Amino acid sequence: MGANTARLLSFQILARMIDVRQITKSTKEGVPILKGISFTVTKGEFVGILGPSGAGKTLTMRCLNGLTRPTSGEVLFTDHEHNLVNLTHARGRELRKARRQIGVIFQGFNLVKRLSAIDNVMIGQLGRINLLRSLVYGFTDDEARQALAVLEHLNVAHLAHRPVGSLSGGEQQRVAIARAIYQQPAVMLADEPIANLDPTNARKIMQILTPLAKEMPIIGVFHQPDLVMEFCTRIIALKEGVVVRDGDSKMTRSELVDLYGAELSEIEASQRILQPA
Amino acid sequence: MKQDTPWTYSGYRRRQTLRIWTIALVIGFCAYWAGVSCKVDVDALRTGLPKGIDFLGYLFPPDWTAFADMAMPALETILLAFLATIFGAFLSLFFGLAAASNIAPRWLRNLSRFLLATERSLPEIVILLLLISALGLGPFPGVIAMAFGCIGMLGRLFSDAIEEINPATLESIESVGARRWQVITYGVLPQVLPSLLANTIFRFEVNIRLSVLLGAVGAGGIGFQLYYSFQTLQYQRATTAILITLLLVFVSERLSDYVRKKLTLDARL
Repeated sequence: MGANTARLLSFQILARMIDVRQITKSTKEGVPILKGISFTVTKGEFVGILGPSGAGKTLTMRCLNGLTRPTSGEVLFTDHEHNLVNLTHARGRELRKARRQIGVIFQGFNLVKRLSAIDNVMIGQLGRINLLRSLVYGFTDDEARQALAVLEHLNVAHLAHRPVGSLSGGEQQRVAIARAIYQQPAVMLADEPIANLDPTNARKIMQILTPLAKEMPIIGVFHQPDLVMEFCTRIIALKEGVVVRDGDSKMTRSELVDLYGAELSEIEASQRILQPA
Repeated sequence: MKQDTPWTYSGYRRRQTLRIWTIALVIGFCAYWAGVSCKVDVDALRTGLPKGIDFLGYLFPPDWTAFADMAMPALETILLAFLATIFGAFLSLFFGLAAASNIAPRWLRNLSRFLLATERSLPEIVILLLLISALGLGPFPGVIAMAFGCIGMLGRLFSDAIEEINPATLESIESVGARRWQVITYGVLPQVLPSLLANTIFRFEVNIRLSVLLGAVGAGGIGFQLYYSFQTLQYQRATTAILITLLLVFVSERLSDYVRKKLTLDARL
């Protein structure tokens, strides 16, 4: 192999921030849930994962952060320093180091309710700061200023010192996004970031995520095909643990009917109910 | 083939009544049997009651001159309870973390739970008597005995509170690359702090009562003054010690109720 070819090949590998190769996952009883999922996500992409309930969307997301280990297959992640990490086998320090660069927005926000919004945002940097300092002293004024700037960017700076448990769902979601941004990740994962939000707030969250995708690829699980088609650059459709579609962000109605079956009418009905009169 | 009888309200009531009466009869029989075994004698109570009322006459009026002598022992009782609570609560936190299934590995959890259960099965007075034989009389063995009692109770309550934390919250902190101690500091402690403080304050209240009892068997403080006054037939002096004890318990109870109420309201976030 010539030097040019090798360089080109390494460039191609490095451009892939997340490379999912044939991952499978079964229950303890041996029932397969993921049946060989493969996809690659590169810089600048905003990938929306769609699929009916039980398709394996959330489980796939968990495998991308090493929160769940696949039964077989590999998840490769390229970090800021262009190191290639195999998340399937990474343990201890290596896994923690990789996780510092993978921001996750969880479906239920999963913030520490008794801590203030700004404290929750600064938790995003826990993996990067000295252990002893984090246990004894906490965060510095500089770090707090940066966290406040991110909250300001998301229009929730005025809530910085309120305990997160006292905030509304939309506000908590913004704090969760702020935490992920403050983490300065190489890639962002969002597990149903707009679930349980009204259409206005859901749209606002998508408007926040879209420009971020230019700096770091975003992979999100969604239940709103219309918003995914409007904001994402690519759609991956999962059904019964298999990728049934991986392509551009336009899906026809017949494709959606094929994907969701009877669930599509339920999704559309819930969207209609949530629409402001 | 057995045919199902249709459900009727009267049948349901009949079964419920029968069940309640059966349970009541079993408990009644056990109580009677326990009374016979413990030689409960109602006649002795009837003849002894007037004597007891006569004895109350010896207790009054309280010996107010002894009040000044008892101020230091009362303070000693408070300090004994305070020190034992602080020391016990601090160690309980580590036992609580080690006994929580969402924090500690299974072997450590099982070991900690076993130690906590063993500790709870040993009454403080037994621990004190063992310690007195090793360390001699005085407040120090009292502090250790009560601190041990704290660990058994608070360690278990702390671990239960920690296990109630939403695991997804801890997972989300792990997901940023945080270490185990960082997850505990930023995810576990803020969530369980109101419960930890409320239980610790309640235990302080328990320790005040307990320090009076342990004082009587050699740990010093107001309990020892009470015991000594009875032993030397200074009944009016004993009344002063009883009144001080009542005051201590009452104030610690009110204080504990007030602080715990504030903490519970705060914990509703």
